[in-house]
Amino acid sequence: MKSVEGIKQVSEVSWEIPPSFKAGMKVPARIYASKTLLENMDSGVFDQVTNVACLPGIVKCAYAMADAHWGYGFPIGGVAAFDTEKGVISPGGVGFDVNCGMRLIRTNLRSKEVQPKIRELVDLIYSLVPVGVGARSAQGFAESQIGDITSLGVRWCAEHDLAWDDDPEHVEEGGYIRGADIGKVSREAIKRGINQFGTLGSGNHYLEVQVVDPERYLDPDLAKEFGIVHEDQVLVMIHCGSRGFGHQVCTDYLRNFETGMRKFGIQVRDRDLACLPFSSKEGKDYYSAMVCAANYAFVNRQIIVNKVREAFERIFHKDAEALDMHLIYDVCHNIAKVERHSYDGSSMDLVVHRKGATRSFGPGHPDVPRPYKSVGQPVIIGGSMETGSYLLVGTQKAMEETFGSTAHGSGRTMSRTAAKRSVRGNELQKRMLEHGIYVKAATMDGLAEEAGLAYKDISQVVETMHRAGISKKVVALRPIGNIKG
Amino acid sequence: MPIRFLPNVALADVAYEATAASLKGLFEACALGLTEVMVDPRTVKAREKRTLRVSSEDTDRLLYDLLTELIIVKDVDSMLFKSYQVRLGKDSKSLVCVAAGEAIDRERHHLRNDAKAVTMHMFGIRHAGRTWKATIVLDI
Repeated sequence: MKSVEGIKQVSEVSWEIPPSFKAGMKVPARIYASKTLLENMDSGVFDQVTNVACLPGIVKCAYAMADAHWGYGFPIGGVAAFDTEKGVISPGGVGFDVNCGMRLIRTNLRSKEVQPKIRELVDLIYSLVPVGVGARSAQGFAESQIGDITSLGVRWCAEHDLAWDDDPEHVEEGGYIRGADIGKVSREAIKRGINQFGTLGSGNHYLEVQVVDPERYLDPDLAKEFGIVHEDQVLVMIHCGSRGFGHQVCTDYLRNFETGMRKFGIQVRDRDLACLPFSSKEGKDYYSAMVCAANYAFVNRQIIVNKVREAFERIFHKDAEALDMHLIYDVCHNIAKVERHSYDGSSMDLVVHRKGATRSFGPGHPDVPRPYKSVGQPVIIGGSMETGSYLLVGTQKAMEETFGSTAHGSGRTMSRTAAKRSVRGNELQKRMLEHGIYVKAATMDGLAEEAGLAYKDISQVVETMHRAGISKKVVALRPIGNIKG
Repeated sequence: MPIRFLPNVALADVAYEATAASLKGLFEACALGLTEVMVDPRTVKAREKRTLRVSSEDTDRLLYDLLTELIIVKDVDSMLFKSYQVRLGKDSKSLVCVAAGEAIDRERHHLRNDAKAVTMHMFGIRHAGRTWKATIVLDI
């Protein structure tokens, strides 16, 4: 058992480190993990989640989800909520890639229809969606449009025939977070981002053609609510974020925050936990810029969806509408948002930070889209390219325990350099093909870095959150085609 | 070897340590390390030169800002560089960097990771005797 003084098991899959563990902790730190996951969690997680627990205005707990691993300041898989009046906002609690997130699109195609054409399909998508270093958009937007685009997100796309009418409703926050102000975004961020709409990026970003795994078709009734009606139905998953735009926003504001902390007399245990009062001008400026980046990411994924729909039309000679290529959902997993939550008998606005964590709102919540109101929001948790991913649903328990938050992915266990030393990209590509997964990658090094052995077991992560009652499993998704930058 | 990759520093990103016999050499080595992360520099030709002028509040920040500027040029102008000549200002709070490289060519360049930001994690210039070092962790 990981040696963390005073850590107590509070349920089958949750643990708590009390405030007495570290001077300055204002709240406990709660970790969701099976015993195995906890034993293998890197020690940086415990140090970082307890540092987060020291931040001003934090409410209830600092959280680490089952996929947690060491990050910058906040652990990846970290969640923390702050009082909007007395608390802080921290770029480290969001991450450089603002609104890195997941989008899931369904089709009415079955595995046997797609598998024979998978190479053709993946190669075509690869030609339509730029990936990797220096990827530039085929979608030309003018700089004069970027204010509206980053203010209205997918709603802007729908108004300009770049999204279907029902797309915005199937994106977190209705396709755009309110509060954007392009005036708070630097020229450098705009110039970096203007040519990257509709690009996938690299690293752990991917686009995957997936099939519902018939052996893990776990809740057919719930799956039907999300438009999944066959046990070998084909879907497409997209994982990417706000590209250079979001990264530059974070870079710019980290600098501002270092200066601002001296002004407000804030000291933190870790430089990467730079934070300012949410109520300050500086804090609000960052929030407004971060929201622009978040909405950029929603639009980025929308443009990619349009290309995916086009590719399916060309390969299967049917309209994307006839192929039922509607969005199931789109979730953020690097974000800070003002949300209303119940705590200690009152309803309060909180700045909820999710860094490598996903919203998991339960049935009946006003922010759950109308088609899913009775069941809860879809939660998309991505695994490695070898193990597949999961679709889950949010729960009332998540609202009660974790400010409606759950895990986001597998979580890395090995560095990129170590992964590249363990496996060769071209051998991995060949092995994946033997296992029925056709991979198109911009670089073999990039592919090797994303090998399954570099990640935790997604099934353990998902099972933990399921057993905790925070997000409930619906279906497992098996990859048959993959594009990596 | 002026650049040494650090496999145990960052799980999801890339980290390297640069070493040089002078502060100017350290700046050049750090820039070369950034190139190495993004592309095999042997596949990049020095077709054009770009002059970057950077000034900052201190020397550490100057290095951070130079590397950030190179990332911006990569995204805005689609350029990668294979060599750098840095001239530091007297107080080491400003510099002129002449970078030699070319536009990204996806057919010819052996591209690697897309560096998107310089993190502040472990960032800082260290000087002991005749050796200058810096650890750079890039978000990719």
